[in-house]
Amino acid sequence: MAFVPDTVLEISLNLLGFVVGLALGIFSYIGFKNTGSPTLFRLNIAFFSIGIGFGVVGFGYVIELFILKYAQPDSWIQTLGIGIQTVGYFFIAFSHGIKSFFPKSRYFKSIIFPLFIIPGNSIEHIIRSISFILLVYGTIETIMSYMENRNRNTIFVAAGLGLLALGEFLGWYSIIFPKSILYFISLSTKITGLGALFIPISQVPLRGGPKFGGNI
Amino acid sequence: MAAIYRTHMSIIGDILSTTRDETPDESGASVTYLIRKANVSYGRLAKILETLVQQGLLEQTTSDRACKYRISSRGREFLQAYRGFREFADSFGLRI
Repeated sequence: MAFVPDTVLEISLNLLGFVVGLALGIFSYIGFKNTGSPTLFRLNIAFFSIGIGFGVVGFGYVIELFILKYAQPDSWIQTLGIGIQTVGYFFIAFSHGIKSFFPKSRYFKSIIFPLFIIPGNSIEHIIRSISFILLVYGTIETIMSYMENRNRNTIFVAAGLGLLALGEFLGWYSIIFPKSILYFISLSTKITGLGALFIPISQVPLRGGPKFGGNI
Repeated sequence: MAAIYRTHMSIIGDILSTTRDETPDESGASVTYLIRKANVSYGRLAKILETLVQQGLLEQTTSDRACKYRISSRGREFLQAYRGFREFADSFGLRI
């Protein structure tokens, strides 16, 4: 069995996405444990989902190619990983939706789910389309927030979400042109986007901090 | 100008900030003072103050027969952590 360098690169990029996503998720979790904030709880779910989504693809490929010795990894691994990432993108967009449309509702916002009608001929195609829409929405909302707060970090987050959207778009395009370099550009763009989301964390001291009750 | 909606957490942040930075004297801030500075109703403030004292974030003192509140060292740590995570959420254009 001969592994092409492309596969190794693909696995490496996915595992890098797993680590970055998990780090962001852990930071958001520490924030949620300290403040009990529902926003940080949603970000925690979002980043854990994104990280796990990358991890499913990365570790799935490692298991199938290196342990089970398959000639080619199953396509369902990719679909499952992207599906889990989409859950993460949904929660980022959902947080913006709550802020913009339900700023005062404490109960309705928990049960509102947007409907998407996406044409498509494969599950992966549909999932990528949803991811793209969610990410574009998140990017626009973040840019709008920057207009209000003029916080420099917000620009990095908007750029990060925009790059993730571009990555999803290129990923979808690579379905049309399989085996092309587009897929690796897509993956690299997504990892760069995740890296941009990491910038705000560098402004905050990473420490466990005191633990407070959850009913504050 | 449109009214800015404040989350429960941001009201707590405002109360703790007031007791840390804007108390008129060392004995702490009175309920009336906190109502004015944190811009919150008496009923809501009373519930929040009770929770914050129970959690050890505020200390209750009695001065001139009036109940006053001042921030504890635990409250200072919480406020510092809160501001860090608020900055993080702000970066996403979100409020905690």
